[in-house]
Amino acid sequence: MSTMLKITNLHATVAGREILKGLDLELEAGEVHAIMGPNGAGKSTLGNVLAGREGYEVTQGEVIFNGKNLLELEPEERACEGVFLAFQYPVEIPGVNNTYFLRAALNAQRKYRGEEELDSVGFLRLVREKLEVLHIGDELLHRAVNEGFSGGEKKRNEIFQMAVLEPTLAILDETDSGLDIDALKTVAEGVNRLRSKDRGMIVVTHYQRLLDYIVPDKVHVLADGKLVATGGADLALKLEEQGYAWLEDGGIKPLEADSTMEAAGA
Amino acid sequence: MSELSAQLAAALPENSGVRPGWLKDLRESGAEQFRMHGLPTRKDEAWKYTGLAALDEAGVQLATPSELPLSGGSHPAPLAESALHLWMLDGQILEQAGAMPDGVTVLPLKTALIEGINGLQALLESLSGRHPKGKSGDGFSALNSATLDSGVVIHVAAGMDGGRMSLAWSSSQAGQPLLFNSRVCLILEPGARLELLEQFEGPDDNANTGNIIVQVQLDKDAVLQHIRFQQESEKAALITRTEVLQKTRSEYAYYGFDLGGGLIRHDLHASLLGKDAKSSINGAYLLDGRRHVDNHSRVDHFATGGTSDQYFRGVAGGSGRAVFNTAVCVHPGADETEATQSNANILLSKRAEVDTKPELEIYADEVIASHGATVGQLDELAVFYLRSRGLTEKAARHLLTTAFCQSVSDRLPDSHLGELISQRMMEVMPHAED
Repeated sequence: MSTMLKITNLHATVAGREILKGLDLELEAGEVHAIMGPNGAGKSTLGNVLAGREGYEVTQGEVIFNGKNLLELEPEERACEGVFLAFQYPVEIPGVNNTYFLRAALNAQRKYRGEEELDSVGFLRLVREKLEVLHIGDELLHRAVNEGFSGGEKKRNEIFQMAVLEPTLAILDETDSGLDIDALKTVAEGVNRLRSKDRGMIVVTHYQRLLDYIVPDKVHVLADGKLVATGGADLALKLEEQGYAWLEDGGIKPLEADSTMEAAGA
Repeated sequence: MSELSAQLAAALPENSGVRPGWLKDLRESGAEQFRMHGLPTRKDEAWKYTGLAALDEAGVQLATPSELPLSGGSHPAPLAESALHLWMLDGQILEQAGAMPDGVTVLPLKTALIEGINGLQALLESLSGRHPKGKSGDGFSALNSATLDSGVVIHVAAGMDGGRMSLAWSSSQAGQPLLFNSRVCLILEPGARLELLEQFEGPDDNANTGNIIVQVQLDKDAVLQHIRFQQESEKAALITRTEVLQKTRSEYAYYGFDLGGGLIRHDLHASLLGKDAKSSINGAYLLDGRRHVDNHSRVDHFATGGTSDQYFRGVAGGSGRAVFNTAVCVHPGADETEATQSNANILLSKRAEVDTKPELEIYADEVIASHGATVGQLDELAVFYLRSRGLTEKAARHLLTTAFCQSVSDRLPDSHLGELISQRMMEVMPHAED
């Protein structure tokens, strides 16, 4: 296995306020990492910074993705290189047909990689295949992108886009938020089907329950802009029991057993 | 009066031999009004944002119908299949193709004026009755009346469905830019139906000015779908007026698409005279370069239970200038009227300009009315969302602006035609710039 993503000392500000304060993370191909943490810790900022959203300014540090300096790339170049952000709040785009949009996106990526663009027949074949694998009906295809979608439909649409675009690195930003348990299971199942030895995933979540269904290789705790703890899947369970209160006094109480600790501000 | 107005006034035709007498009266009253006021100026409230300097500078001359040879001109390829195609040159019928549907009569205006056609005189006179004396805002209409001769009359008999009829406009390319006048009269008897597809697509060097009035009379339960597709050259000017008179339960639906033209002005006015009549007025305008598109849309509710919906979307890039005015007046007695107005615009450049104004006057009871007008930029979060999936910034903006205008073409009942027009819009969609 090789390092797919290496984030070193990442500092980022939003509207002049520093949110990420020296974040380090390494992800290998095939791994699924969960990033957990309290509200305001910088979880969503990380996803937005990696996807290249305007207004998220990196002031220090670097992000190397498959040997490339990710931060130098435009958002669309990052996408074409294989980075995919599943939005916490997928954007409604009235008037743009979901299928049309996705085909335009896929073909933009294929063109970038020097592959032949798919015609509508070839594209529909691919779409049907993916829908079947994900157990999603085709009703989302005919509607405008996310317009009038329920919370669950929006998240399923994100996973569906991910399945079609087949990214190398997928970042799921609070994909579980606002979902009932059935929708959560559907989404998690979709994600699990997309796990592969060539694909890395970062699952950002506030709650542990998603990790009952998507079992991560590693769990990181993000607090005040830095990763303050890293462990295996069981770390999530401990967080569930103990909450995030132990972070509040600035000190890191040692968590038991096999968790590897990375002290804050060290 | 401007030099252009004086020149046009001097070139007005002589009326001494004109028959029948009522036609002579119409032409003389138009001429009298035009000689008094000439073309509108920016001092007229309705023309505040639209100047005619370009016509002055081009040295536009009045086309005289009798001298024009009815040959040549360039045909635009038909936009869509129609039962009957009419090719108009300089305001007159040049050619027609297809079979005349049952119950439909199509005549050159000149012939109809001589032979007479049921309801024509009243329809023509109804327009001149709407010229208040002393107001020059209707200078183009006065000019049109003063030269009343060229045009076409379309009559659909009671209960008949005329299907789709296309009217493709073009003009002669002479040395000097010409101003031609034309009048289209549509009379739909009770329960009659028609779809009128107007197409304005002259050659790239077309520098002429069209001054066209479309007068529509919808008797009770008549239904007219009126589609107008305009992609004229940057040098062309087009001044049009559509007047719709609606009787009980009649339905008028308009879908206008302005993709080109140098100076475009369209006044659309629906009068809901009978109860439970419906008007749905939709339009999209796309501007770049130095193009100027001015739409004035107005609905007057005179009877109870009427419904009107005015829906316009505009995109302005380059140094384009869009003017949009939408008005609803609910007159006394027009109770239980429902009237909505919506106009949204996207500005793609700092030099582009949009002036939009909704107007609403209500003098009746139990009226539901709403209006909204916005001018803004694209949703940046949507742009990022599309880019995060691999679309370039340019492609993302292009897709979003197209979708914005497509909300108008999506309203067309014929989805095939809607897609076709959407495709045409996508081809000319102005791009964003700093």
